[in-house]
Amino acid sequence: MRNFWMIAKHEYLKTVTRRGFLILLAAVPLGIVALIGMGILIESMSQDATPIGYVDQAGILDASLHAALPNADERIQIRAFADEEAARTALKQGQIQAFYVFPPDYVSTLRTDVYYLEDAPGGNAERDLNDFVRLNLVSSYSPEVQERLLEGPSVTVHDVASNRTFSENEIANIILPFVATFLFFFATMSSAGYMLGVVASEKENRTVEVMMTSVTSEQLIGGKTLGLLAASLTQLAVYLLVAAIGVIVAGAYVPELRQVAVPWSYLGVMALFFFPSYALITGMMVALGAAVTEMEQGQQAAGMLNLLFVLPLFILPVLFSNPGHPLIVALTLFPTTSFLTISLRWGLGTVPWWQLGLSWGLLVATAALSIWAAARVFRAGMLRYGKPLNLKAVVAAVRG
Amino acid sequence: MINLEASHLAKRFGDTQAVVDVSFAVAPGEIFGLLGPNGAGKTTTIRMLLDIFKPDSGSIRIFGGEMDQEKKRRIGYMPEERGLYKDLKLEPTLVYLAALKGMEEAEARARLGDWLERFDLAEHRTKKVQELSKGMQQKAQIIATLVHDPDLVVIDEPFSGLDPVTTRLVKEIFEEQRQAGKSILMSTHQMYQVEALCDRIVLIDEGRTVLYGPVAEIKRNFAGNAVVVEGQGDFGGIPGVIETRRQNGTWHMALEIGTDPQAVLRSLAAREDLRIERFELEEPSLDDIFIQTVQEKRPGARG
Repeated sequence: MRNFWMIAKHEYLKTVTRRGFLILLAAVPLGIVALIGMGILIESMSQDATPIGYVDQAGILDASLHAALPNADERIQIRAFADEEAARTALKQGQIQAFYVFPPDYVSTLRTDVYYLEDAPGGNAERDLNDFVRLNLVSSYSPEVQERLLEGPSVTVHDVASNRTFSENEIANIILPFVATFLFFFATMSSAGYMLGVVASEKENRTVEVMMTSVTSEQLIGGKTLGLLAASLTQLAVYLLVAAIGVIVAGAYVPELRQVAVPWSYLGVMALFFFPSYALITGMMVALGAAVTEMEQGQQAAGMLNLLFVLPLFILPVLFSNPGHPLIVALTLFPTTSFLTISLRWGLGTVPWWQLGLSWGLLVATAALSIWAAARVFRAGMLRYGKPLNLKAVVAAVRG
Repeated sequence: MINLEASHLAKRFGDTQAVVDVSFAVAPGEIFGLLGPNGAGKTTTIRMLLDIFKPDSGSIRIFGGEMDQEKKRRIGYMPEERGLYKDLKLEPTLVYLAALKGMEEAEARARLGDWLERFDLAEHRTKKVQELSKGMQQKAQIIATLVHDPDLVVIDEPFSGLDPVTTRLVKEIFEEQRQAGKSILMSTHQMYQVEALCDRIVLIDEGRTVLYGPVAEIKRNFAGNAVVVEGQGDFGGIPGVIETRRQNGTWHMALEIGTDPQAVLRSLAAREDLRIERFELEEPSLDDIFIQTVQEKRPGARG
C-alpha cells in the first residue's frame, strides 16, 4: 500500500505543479470573474439615481403610495407633475432623468409615453416605475390580495414517482446545475486527458519496465488514477469555491441569486455518477495510452472517445423542449452519456428514479469492465516499445 | 544460498516460442554473464526472472523462494530500453525511484549525494532529465539501479553509451558489489567485458541454454586446437600443423584434428635451428567461442 500512496502523491504533485494545470486552474475562475464583472459593470452603467417624473392624466396614481413599496428608501425617487410643461422644464433643468405621461385612456389602452433628453432612463427607473404603477392599480384590494397579485403564482411541480419537487421560481437553482455540469465535466475530461498523457509518456519515456520491478501494475495504475482524481477534485474545488464567492458577490447586484440554496440532492447524485464515470474514462484512456506509441496518436483517438461523452450537448434543443424524449432517456441510460445527460436534466425537471438506478447500475458495470480490460491491455501494450497494439491485439489481450 | 535460480524456463508469445529451455543459477558475490545473439530470448528471460512476465513452464527462485514485493526491493534493474521521467528534475526522480524500492526519502537523499558526486552529476541534480546528455542519463540510471543497495543487480548492456572513464568507474563499482557479496547478472554483447568481469556465463541461443559454466573452464574446454609459440627461427613446416601465422612476433599454430600439442612440442624441441622461449595452448577468446557455438547450432548459416 505504501507504494500505491507514494505513486498517488507523486502523480498529484507532478500534475498540480504543471504549468498547463495552473494556467487552466486560473483561467476558468478568471473567466467567471470577468463575466460577473462585466455583468456588474453593465448593470451599474444602466443605473441612474436621478429622479423620474410622471404626469397622471388618467388619475390612477397616488404619489404617497411610493413609500409603501418594498425597500422604498433604496428606490429611485418618483415625482408627480401637474402637466407636461412642468415636467419638461424639470427635465431640461436636470432635476429628473425622464418623465412618463399616462394619458386619460391609459386603463383601456395601457399606453404610456416616455420623454427624455439624450440617454434613455436606467433599468432601475423602469423597474421602480413599474412597481409603483402596479401597486397603485391594485391599491383598492386587501393587503393579502395585493401581495398575491404583485408576486404572481408560485408553481411547484411534484413528481409523484420520484417524490422530487421542482419549483419554477428558483431560477438560480435551475442555472446552477448547468454551471456545475460544465465544471464537473470539464474537470473529468481534463483529468482523462492527463491520464492518457501519463500512460503514454510512461511508455514513451520507457520507464514502465523499471516501475514494474518495483510495484505491481495495479499499484501503478491505481496510484496514478487516484493522484489524477485528487488533482481533478482540487481543480473542481477551486472552481466551485470561486463560483460560490461569485454567487455571493453577484447576489448584491442580482436579487435572484440571493435565493440560491446549495443543491444537495443534485450534488449527491452527481457524486454518485462522477466516480464511476471517471473510472470509465480512465480505463479507456489507460488502454489507449498503452496501445499507442506516441502521445499524438493517443490524443487523436481520445478526441473521438470524448465525443461519446459529449453527445448530449449536440441534442440540447431536444433536451430543453422535451426532457422525457426517448432519445434523452436512451442517453440517460447509456454509460458514456449518463453523467452529462442526468446533470443537464436535473436542472430542467425531474429524472425518474428507475432511470437513475438503471443508469447508475449500467455505468458501474461498464466502468468495472473498462478498468479490468484496461489492466490487460496495459500489461500487453506497455512493453511493446515503438509498436502500437492493433485492434486484433487489443481484443486478444482482453481475452487473455 | 543461491540468489537466483532459473530452471527449464519456457515462454511463448502467439506463434513465437521466445524461450524454449533455459536454466542457470547466480550465486552471491558473483558477476554472471547472460549472453546470446540478438533474438535469442535474453530479454524475455530477464523479464521472467523479474516477474514482469510469467513463464509458461519452468520455475524461478529468487533469494530461496517465490518472487514477492519484499524481494523486488532487493533487486536493482536496468533494462536495455533506458528511460527516466524526462520532464522531472534529476534528484527528485532518483529519490522517487529509490522510495518505491522501500527507502525513506531522507535516507535516499543522503545516499544519492555520494552517488551523484561519484558519477560527476552533483551539479546537475536540479536539472530536468531531458536537459542532461545521453551519457549523463545513462549514469543516472545506473545510480537508480544501485542506490537502494540491492542484493541482486540485473543490468542489460551496462556499458552501452558510456565513455571510457565512466566504463572504468562502472567496472570498479561492479567489483565492489562483488566484494560486498552482491550478485550481478549482466547481459551484454561486449565479450571482452565479460571476459574481464564475469565469473560464470550462460549462453543461450534460439531460446535454449547452449553453454553454461565458469568462464575459465569454458575457455579451457575450447582450447587445445591451437598453440602459441615464441622463440628464434622459422616455425613453419611442423608436422601436424595445418596453418602457421606470425603476429606481433608470436607464432600461432592451428593443429590438425587429433594432433597432440605435446607431439608438436617434441617436434619443435628436436629441431636444432629453433630456440623455444614460450610454448602454450592457445585459449580462444569468448568472442570466438560465442561465434563458434552459435554457428554450430545453425549449419545453414555457415555457408
